[in-house]
Amino acid sequence: MFNLDRKLIISASVAAAVAVFSGCMSGNAEPKGESTVNGKPTIDGGVYYPVVNDKTGPYYVNPQVAIDAKKIYNGRVPTANELKAWDKDLMPDGTGYPEGEGSVEDGEALYEAQCVMCHGDFGSGGGGYPALAKGNGYELKKTLTNNRYKNADGDGPVRVFGSYWPKVSTLWWYIQDGMPHPMSKTLTVDETYALTAYILNINEIEYEGEPIDEEFVLDREKMMKIVLPNNDGFIPNIDGPTGPDDVRAFYADPNNFGAKKVNPAERCMKDCLEPTAKVTYIAGAGISEFLPPMATERSLPKTEESNGGAKKHYEEACMMCHADTSMGAPAVGDAKAWAAVTAKGMDAVYHNGINGINGMPPKGGSDLSDADFKSVVDYMISQSK
Amino acid sequence: MDNKKSNHEIDVNKRDFFRKTAALSVTALAGTSLLSSNARADDPAIMHHVPWGQKWGDPVTKNRYGIPSAYEHNVTRRNTKLLASGNYRASIAVTPIHESMGIITPNGLFFSRSHGGVAHVDPNQYRLMIHGLVEKPIVLTLEQLKKYPSVTRTHFIECPANGGQEWRGPQFNSVQFAKGFMSSAEWTGVYIKTILEDLGLKPDARWMLAEGSDNSEMGRTVPVEKVLDDAMIVWGQNGEALRPEQGYPVRLLLPGWEGNLCVKWLKRLEFASEPWYCKEETSKYTALKPSGKAIQHFYANEVNSTVTSPSPEIPWTNLKEGDIVEIEGLAWSGMGTITGVDISFDGGNSYVPASLKGLVLPKSWTRWSYMYTIPKDFQINGKQIILASRAMDDAGYIQPTVDEETAIMGVESVYHRNGIETWEVTATGEVNHVQLRS
Ligand code: HEC
Ligand code: HEC
Repeated sequence: MFNLDRKLIISASVAAAVAVFSGCMSGNAEPKGESTVNGKPTIDGGVYYPVVNDKTGPYYVNPQVAIDAKKIYNGRVPTANELKAWDKDLMPDGTGYPEGEGSVEDGEALYEAQCVMCHGDFGSGGGGYPALAKGNGYELKKTLTNNRYKNADGDGPVRVFGSYWPKVSTLWWYIQDGMPHPMSKTLTVDETYALTAYILNINEIEYEGEPIDEEFVLDREKMMKIVLPNNDGFIPNIDGPTGPDDVRAFYADPNNFGAKKVNPAERCMKDCLEPTAKVTYIAGAGISEFLPPMATERSLPKTEESNGGAKKHYEEACMMCHADTSMGAPAVGDAKAWAAVTAKGMDAVYHNGINGINGMPPKGGSDLSDADFKSVVDYMISQSK
Repeated sequence: MDNKKSNHEIDVNKRDFFRKTAALSVTALAGTSLLSSNARADDPAIMHHVPWGQKWGDPVTKNRYGIPSAYEHNVTRRNTKLLASGNYRASIAVTPIHESMGIITPNGLFFSRSHGGVAHVDPNQYRLMIHGLVEKPIVLTLEQLKKYPSVTRTHFIECPANGGQEWRGPQFNSVQFAKGFMSSAEWTGVYIKTILEDLGLKPDARWMLAEGSDNSEMGRTVPVEKVLDDAMIVWGQNGEALRPEQGYPVRLLLPGWEGNLCVKWLKRLEFASEPWYCKEETSKYTALKPSGKAIQHFYANEVNSTVTSPSPEIPWTNLKEGDIVEIEGLAWSGMGTITGVDISFDGGNSYVPASLKGLVLPKSWTRWSYMYTIPKDFQINGKQIILASRAMDDAGYIQPTVDEETAIMGVESVYHRNGIETWEVTATGEVNHVQLRS
């Protein structure tokens, strides 16, 4: 790390130079890992490999690079509009919060239309989709000390937005960038404020001491004032000028993060276990539903079925939503549901499937050709007679 | 049967090698068991012409990009519903490390984890923007990025949830699922510090945001210390372009640190004085301790190891007393270089040193080995063998026992579990994933 460090962090240059020269004296021996950088511990508690005699650890480096890199500028300066188009992140201090607003009421309507099929009623989650709320965030925060370490049958901690997340900026930013999952970056700024307001509401978060209710309208200024229940729930500190040094100090002590240091010569070789330690087996079958099922034999794969792989495509790309009605899709095997779908004529059905409709993403999110997609639709209908 | 031979004893045994083989060949010649041509049926695989020996093979024009033998189709990534969003777009498929060889994972088997599905980026439309607290911001095309002087490094990438389902007890009777949330490759790219030499970092730049261009716009905050040490922007994986699952055309690589920090489909690096608080460094990838406080910015994957052979997948059921077999495994540390691995046959109560083998590189998979003679019924002193491995690194760390680790971290932290893994061998040679805990 030293070449650049020397240039940028002036106070570091002396220590860095010392590291380089003391390394030289050890001749051609492979440079060893160092656990301090300029007299400070590394930020992650590990070692790093300074460049000594044109090697970092076992790797040779070309010494010309550090010199010539100072003159390499292969690209171009971004335009102001380009920066605006991509620099859309939010920071907890309000940096990046756009102008706009949205109400809990509008948020609920948007949620019902675009989110409920995955995240469940009132954000209850299920079916592999995360819960967005489990009740009052302030109450649930208290569960974070639940630890099934000593009491295996007790309740675990509840980690949802209201009880666990430290910053509301994270929620707004993530919804805007990443949701709704099948077609992200389609929500307007106002819609994102509305959905954020709704999720604050179902987590019973307070604004200026009052619970956020149906009438509440969220905007930039208000969002800056919201402090979530678990704002102080994280270690080490990362904020402010001391942030990196606080992280450094944290990882300098293995006890902080469950690690263990030992002098290799003194490591335990005999009677290393607690006398109370006993063999614990997997309960029941454990988690054993592996896809594809576990197998190690060397054999030829079974040949594709005569329907041109439609069944396989169905299993890979459609079954996750069409196996039952939980996603609001016509379930395969449900003759009535499919009769209703096909009543409008197959051209319309193919068209809707290929272009997407409501909760059905275009082609179900698959990259099947039109012809293959149609054969999968035919297969699904044939299985629903 | 002495299963805890020291290296010295093994050397002594080696000297007996010639004497023993000589004796053996005398017995063999005298008896009929090995040389008799009538005692056993002839092997048809030898006696008959095989189809591939007589027919034309494929022309060189077939499979311009080679694919594995069809017989290898069971060697694949696997997933399980438990670790999947309902639609397998925010999910993981893990590496069959029970079949792994050496310290490189073939690109098609490299574990695949994404938060909004695997993106397919058009390299012609690829742009990387570096801005914020730099003197000169920059936009690079892929071609321009690849013009920077490159470096090539071998590193593992590990999901910090590797083993994270087993804090409260063993769950997977499979090394693929218990430890396969990781893979290793030889990566080619450019050190970010090389690009920054010209861009010039401003003095109050303490953090870097790395953001992906995928559907989830995956973002993470990285301390500038790592950026100026060994952080790379990579486009090459085992001598070819990154696979889409690995972030084609470009991903961030922070050697040794959480896989999630190595942002794929990388589009933007921004430098700032304050950290960001992205979804994947608050909601997830934070490790809850019994105090109710959670560790954020948990960077390096700590020293770790596992036996990979035998495994529940490929057990010792075809071995019998007296057979000599190599026990193999992997060791790795995101904090440095592996310095040694000890092996235990009693679940980690007592240890003997195993041998490292092959290349031993920083922040890389390291392969280890131990030659073993199978005891009767796979038992020692009337107890089934329980294999355990314990690795050490040059940063001074050693793997804790399960008890030691949970005493500090509790069992709710999900991430960064590196307690000693244990594998019981039954009387018939089956291998079961177990844990030794109080
Ligand atoms: C097709 C299913 C689907 C739909 C529709 C959907 N989501 Fe999601 N959502 C997911 C998945 C899957 C994740 C987990 C992503 C991950 O693991 O990175 C998620 C994660 C989230 C999270 C983070 C939860 C946490 O605790 O980490 C929020 C907040 C969220 N979604 C909000 C929304 C909102 C608001 C909408 C509607 C505009 C929406 N989602 C629509 C599937 C969906
Ligand atoms: C993310 C969930 C999801 C996936 C994946 C999915 N579907 Fe759907 N699909 C739906 C939903 C929800 C509907 C009902 C849409 C509506 O409200 O009309 C639907 C409706 C349909 C329809 C009826 C369209 C109509 O005219 O009413 C067809 C045909 C269909 N899907 C085919 C497929 C095929 C083929 C695949 C796989 C290649 C697939 N779907 C994958 C959710 C999904």
